[in-house]
Amino acid sequence: MARLEGLSFKKERIIVLTGGRAVKISALSVAFSFLVFSLFLYLEGANPVEAYLNIFSFALAPELGLPATLHRGLFMLFSALAFIVVYRAGIWNVGMEGQFYLGTIGAFAVAFAFPNLPSPVLIPMMLASAALFGAGYGAITGFLKGKLDVNEVVVALMLNNIAFWLVYLLTVGGPWAGSIASSSRPLPEPARAPRIWETPFTSLLAAALAVILYIFLKYTPLGYQIKVYGGNPNVARHVGISSLKVSVLVMALGGAISGLAGYHMWAGDAAFYLIPRPEAYKAVGDMTYWGIIIGLICLLNPLASIPTSIFIGAITVGSTVLVRRFRLPFGLDILFLGIITISFVAFQFFYNYRIKMRRG
Amino acid sequence: MLNSPQADTRPGEVVLEARGITKRYPNNVVALDKVDFQLRAGEVHAILGENGAGKTTLMNILFGVIQPDEGEIYLYGRKTRFKSPIDAINMGVGMVHQTRKLVQAHTVLENIILGHPKAGRLLNLRKVREEVEEMCRRYGFRIDLDARVWQLSAGEQEMVEILRALYRGAKILILDEPTSVLTPPEVEVLLNSIRHMAKNNIALIPFITHKLPEVFEVSDKVTVLRRGKVVKTINIREASMKSLAEYMVGREVLFNLTNPKVNLGREILKVENLSALNDKGVVALRNVSFSVKEGEILGIVGVSGNGQEELAEVLAGLRKPASGRVIFDGQDITRKSVLERLKMGIGYIPPDRLGEGAIGNFSLVDNILLNLYYDKEFRKSIFLNYPKIREYTKRLVSEFEVITPSVDTKAAHLSGGNLQKIILARVIPKTTKLLIANLPTSGLDVASAESVRNRILSCKEKGMAVILISEDLDEALQLSDRIAPIYEGRIVAILDADNVKKEEIGAMMAGVSQ
Repeated sequence: MARLEGLSFKKERIIVLTGGRAVKISALSVAFSFLVFSLFLYLEGANPVEAYLNIFSFALAPELGLPATLHRGLFMLFSALAFIVVYRAGIWNVGMEGQFYLGTIGAFAVAFAFPNLPSPVLIPMMLASAALFGAGYGAITGFLKGKLDVNEVVVALMLNNIAFWLVYLLTVGGPWAGSIASSSRPLPEPARAPRIWETPFTSLLAAALAVILYIFLKYTPLGYQIKVYGGNPNVARHVGISSLKVSVLVMALGGAISGLAGYHMWAGDAAFYLIPRPEAYKAVGDMTYWGIIIGLICLLNPLASIPTSIFIGAITVGSTVLVRRFRLPFGLDILFLGIITISFVAFQFFYNYRIKMRRG
Repeated sequence: MLNSPQADTRPGEVVLEARGITKRYPNNVVALDKVDFQLRAGEVHAILGENGAGKTTLMNILFGVIQPDEGEIYLYGRKTRFKSPIDAINMGVGMVHQTRKLVQAHTVLENIILGHPKAGRLLNLRKVREEVEEMCRRYGFRIDLDARVWQLSAGEQEMVEILRALYRGAKILILDEPTSVLTPPEVEVLLNSIRHMAKNNIALIPFITHKLPEVFEVSDKVTVLRRGKVVKTINIREASMKSLAEYMVGREVLFNLTNPKVNLGREILKVENLSALNDKGVVALRNVSFSVKEGEILGIVGVSGNGQEELAEVLAGLRKPASGRVIFDGQDITRKSVLERLKMGIGYIPPDRLGEGAIGNFSLVDNILLNLYYDKEFRKSIFLNYPKIREYTKRLVSEFEVITPSVDTKAAHLSGGNLQKIILARVIPKTTKLLIANLPTSGLDVASAESVRNRILSCKEKGMAVILISEDLDEALQLSDRIAPIYEGRIVAILDADNVKKEEIGAMMAGVSQ
């Protein structure tokens, strides 16, 4: 209880958090982070209102930033879903980066092996291979967690590192090396993702996956078992839900979803159609960590993570105007994303409490 | 030494007195009913009682964790109110908890000075070390002050806690189940230290449920609690272990359920030479054999920690036995999984309701679903048939008389009794042949416990075989057809519940050989 000029404030616990309140608080936290970032823009000599208008008009303009916004945003959606399905079982998936690299390897291996297959055959094969590679990689973490209770965060982070170097071995001077030093050969023509509404079809696949995952978690017996394990692993044990089975299953599912992003990213953007230099693919791999933040912000709801991913994508893409049009220093966009994240997290206080103000 | 307000007390002087302590809990449970208790300097005054006898409540009142509703506490003859444990500590009352409260990564010395008013300001470690060493000499503790706590055995860790309380100036020391996790040689050392402390005018109050014989060795006086009342305060010289066990479990029969005789059917469960380890890898169950028939309740009674938990877990498929066989309905199920057993009609009611039996932040529907998710009846193609599951839950809620605003209420918001009813409603209808009920009424108010007992009896009437695991001898005698006291992992005897003397079983539970 705090006092201020005859007013008293009291913290009150909220027992049931409604969806409406969650949305309202998220919106408020975004508004708050915009305010805070305004201060930095102002200090850098830019007009905040003008800057924001530029960010969003660029990110959402169909002829300018929109394709990239959707492509990047839905790339992060794959990661968010991969995080969500695993965290529903109470297990942290921080291995999306490595699973994404493995998916990349899976997709490219098929494309380079069968460059002459027609698209309708080759692309599904690439997707299946990407998912399988990602799933297998995720399952390692799940198996160690479920069988030996090895900490999943440590294992996944180590595997991320290994996966990065696997890609490196294949591209930089390796069997997939292209004519440009340190990046891979380009994908064969039929392997490239067809576009629907100016965006690769895999963007729609990501959105569809979100819907399927929502239904899977909410209405299927398997989804329920995952939820029980996440709710209380000990109770799960008492009703015959195996820790090993759940850990491997969710990590494989998460890995498969992350792996698909390995096709979406490189085969879905005309700027690539290959695996770029290590710094560049590492920068993309780093984006997968946004999946954790998006998943947590959306309270593990796959449907809510669709708009949230696109929103984060819009800011990632739109903030580039700060450098190009406003001549502001590099890194401000990352600062902006950081402020948004911290603000989201801080506002989660209001998921559990409300502040009552009283006179007297 | 610091902070000892009554630095010098004469031996035999009354240091702590509780008069007419009464404590009621919200659901009309009287935890303590006009408890009187007197403690003298240099005295070891044990408090005995079964689980639920009110020991914990009394302990918490004496240490200032909770306040009594009625009654007074006198410290050195002066009326006192402990507003919090800090108060109690500052007035020279120390407590050694059953679960260790130590910083594992720190040294013994650091743990001893932790929380001391002198710590936090400038610290003269050398002087502190001298003081602690002097204390160790005086009370006969042998411990390496520079060892890290995680390197110590359970017994040594307990020593550290005792030393910490003494260093804060405790003249009265409450010990919660002091010997429960110690090995026999460690117990010897502890008992020795207790004697040393008593000789130095420290008054000790060990609270005991099990391990009667050990306490017997060092205590001067014993107060026996039963259902919140003091049954007896007695000098140890005048008591025998048998009489203490009797006071603990009582003679009178308190409930009056009708326990109908049902014609026994086939043998449903046969356990042969079953042994199992506990979580620490120590043998907890030794060569247990018994059988249960349809329409029969076998009561397994014992104070907690004597292997009954491990037995229940082996039967439910949660723990792998070290040796032996479990035959269910003519089939060897020793290696079958929990799920296979559930599907065969074996139901298990675990003792820890919110830790094992139900998920607190799940709705009642989702909790009932715990026993339906594997059942094709409750599916619609590949999906769970939620409307049907909801209807089913509603029916169970009314059949089992669960009081709840709706079936969407979270389980954590139910009272203990209603939560237990939900667990029964989840398990019993899906159980066809064998029900294992592990402490089904522990911590429940009288009315809820009664309804749970009735429910168990009706399972038997329907022809199920029931294994009831209980720490409450009255309950076990009331419900069981046959009764098997268990002590240190062995079933002492299997007796017909109709003509058995309660004192006899009480003694078997306490490990007093015939």
